[in-house]
Amino acid sequence: MSTQDKVTINKLPTGVPGLDEIAGGGLPEFSFNIIAGAPGSGKTTLAHQFVFANASPERPALYFTVLGESAIKMLRYQQQYTFFDPAKLPDSVRFINLSQIVLEKDLGAVLTEIIKEVEKSNPAVVVVDSFRTMVRKSQNGPSEMDLQSFIQQLALFLASWQATTFLIGEYAEDELRDNPIFTVADGLFWLRQTAERNSIVRKLQIVKLRGQASVPGLHTFRITDAGLQAFSRTFGLSGHKRKQPGSKRLSIGIPELDKMMGGGIPEGDSVLVTGASGTGKSVLATQFIAEGIRQGEPGIVAVFEERPQAYTDRAGSFGLDLVTPQQDGKLLILYLRPLDLSVDETMNEILEAVKKIGAKRLVIDSLAGFEMALSPGFREDFRESLYRMIFALTGIGVTILSTVEVDESFTEFPFSTYSISFLTDDIIRLRYISVEGQLRKILVIIKMRGGSHSQDVREYEITSKGMVIAGERLKDYQRLITGIPERLNRSGEKEELPRKSRAKSKI
Amino acid sequence: MLSLATRDLARRLLADEAAASKSSLSAESAVLLVYEKLRRSLCALAGVAGFRSLASRALTLAKADAPSLSAMQVMADGALQVLVEPESQSNQYQPDEGGVILLAQLLGLLITFIGETLTLRLVQDTWSDAGLDDFNSGDGREA
Repeated sequence: MSTQDKVTINKLPTGVPGLDEIAGGGLPEFSFNIIAGAPGSGKTTLAHQFVFANASPERPALYFTVLGESAIKMLRYQQQYTFFDPAKLPDSVRFINLSQIVLEKDLGAVLTEIIKEVEKSNPAVVVVDSFRTMVRKSQNGPSEMDLQSFIQQLALFLASWQATTFLIGEYAEDELRDNPIFTVADGLFWLRQTAERNSIVRKLQIVKLRGQASVPGLHTFRITDAGLQAFSRTFGLSGHKRKQPGSKRLSIGIPELDKMMGGGIPEGDSVLVTGASGTGKSVLATQFIAEGIRQGEPGIVAVFEERPQAYTDRAGSFGLDLVTPQQDGKLLILYLRPLDLSVDETMNEILEAVKKIGAKRLVIDSLAGFEMALSPGFREDFRESLYRMIFALTGIGVTILSTVEVDESFTEFPFSTYSISFLTDDIIRLRYISVEGQLRKILVIIKMRGGSHSQDVREYEITSKGMVIAGERLKDYQRLITGIPERLNRSGEKEELPRKSRAKSKI
Repeated sequence: MLSLATRDLARRLLADEAAASKSSLSAESAVLLVYEKLRRSLCALAGVAGFRSLASRALTLAKADAPSLSAMQVMADGALQVLVEPESQSNQYQPDEGGVILLAQLLGLLITFIGETLTLRLVQDTWSDAGLDDFNSGDGREA
């Protein structure tokens, strides 16, 4: 069958930011859907968002309430959300209570009442909340066949009357296999909330959605004053074509470091700057951002360990003006400190910022702070989430520089405590060395996926102008990366041993 | 505390009902008509049990201000019934102000629970000609 022969299934907006993308573009029109989940998981709010996004006086939404939350209280609470538009009541959104019929009569009477109201109103949207309580009540009376027949007739009738339907219910996941409602349903939205230590983690899954490809897996969502907001695992970039890497190199603003990297960081790379506390990771990151702005490339800095003002002030102390570009809309400093964040939420913030100013450079300072800002439950997935985030951002051409603190060791040379070096294209390692009675600093390029790079170990200083790489490579020492180097004499032999080192390298 | 504006709203509904009636309508009949329309509208929204709870509360509150309502009760289906006891003829239901207070208490409860905006939209759905756009309950609650 050719494309032009196929029926076009209209996609309706869900009214939930982020959910349309997860659903594959919206909710299929005339579909028969279930919203399942435990009490308090956001089922009713999700249904309300859909209702208010789609109801009109010509094609209203009928919201049938059954034995669950009282309609008065539901209105009391739901109107607190910003999506709730009282002007839509009662012409566009109509609430109808079926409790009495459910209590006093059978499923046939319930179906008759729903049919009567639907035929009277010609609704675009029908919600039954809670369908589960209705079915539970009925299970004391009619047989399973009656129930199946009721569901079948309801689905058939509502689809025939061109209504997009949501049945809301408190279902347990082990019911998925046997409950006939899940077989009949075109769409199944499962909302979960779990307590992770002191945090609540909310996730949604589209278990099935007939007629279109939804994004599989569990997606984080949050409930705020604006209702549900979903954060797709693909960060809303699933339909985007991945930008092909070009030959452009981005200057870091430290000329010698640019040279060591073959002219700078390849555009679209993910760079990891790793080192102990005080080695200058943030300074290097700030110079990278400031240089980008100087070259007309807007930037985002996501900070987790200090406030934007402190970050800006510290940059100023190195002669880097981050105030003006913020005023000019060329730089955004995002402070993403609140606990309980998910990577997906953080990503959403960053992506919105990237879109807003057309950012080309992103600094994440630091990954340790980022991890700490996450809910404990999300920390377990940190590496996987980070991989998705970096892949998504570099895919749209953003060059990312992340900092990560590692414990300074004089016996080891770890790149990062996170074992995330596989996520990065390039790694710059900063470290302290003990030389001639001084604690000095060296840097080395560990890897560059995009080509050759300097193998030199270079000494640098943090001056009033930021990071400055001074002099040639340190030819007169060996075992520099152990942190306790040994000086060589002119013939290249070891001159002195400060002390017997047991250091070992992981390079 | 019942606001004057909510009492005024009740009076407006009674007046609208009286004006709409082709024949002369007694005060008692007007109260019962308005109540019945509210009952139908709110039963559809909140269910019979939901409406009955609200109406019972409203009647209890109203009786404190209008002893003439003591002969009234809310039935299982939410309907209002006047119980006339022979020995208390002197304390019979006086529909005028007592009826206003009862309706105002019912509307006031709705305003408390779902806010002024939604309450007015529900009322206007039934009394579209009552001209309630200028209504402000004055109780300081946000709709």
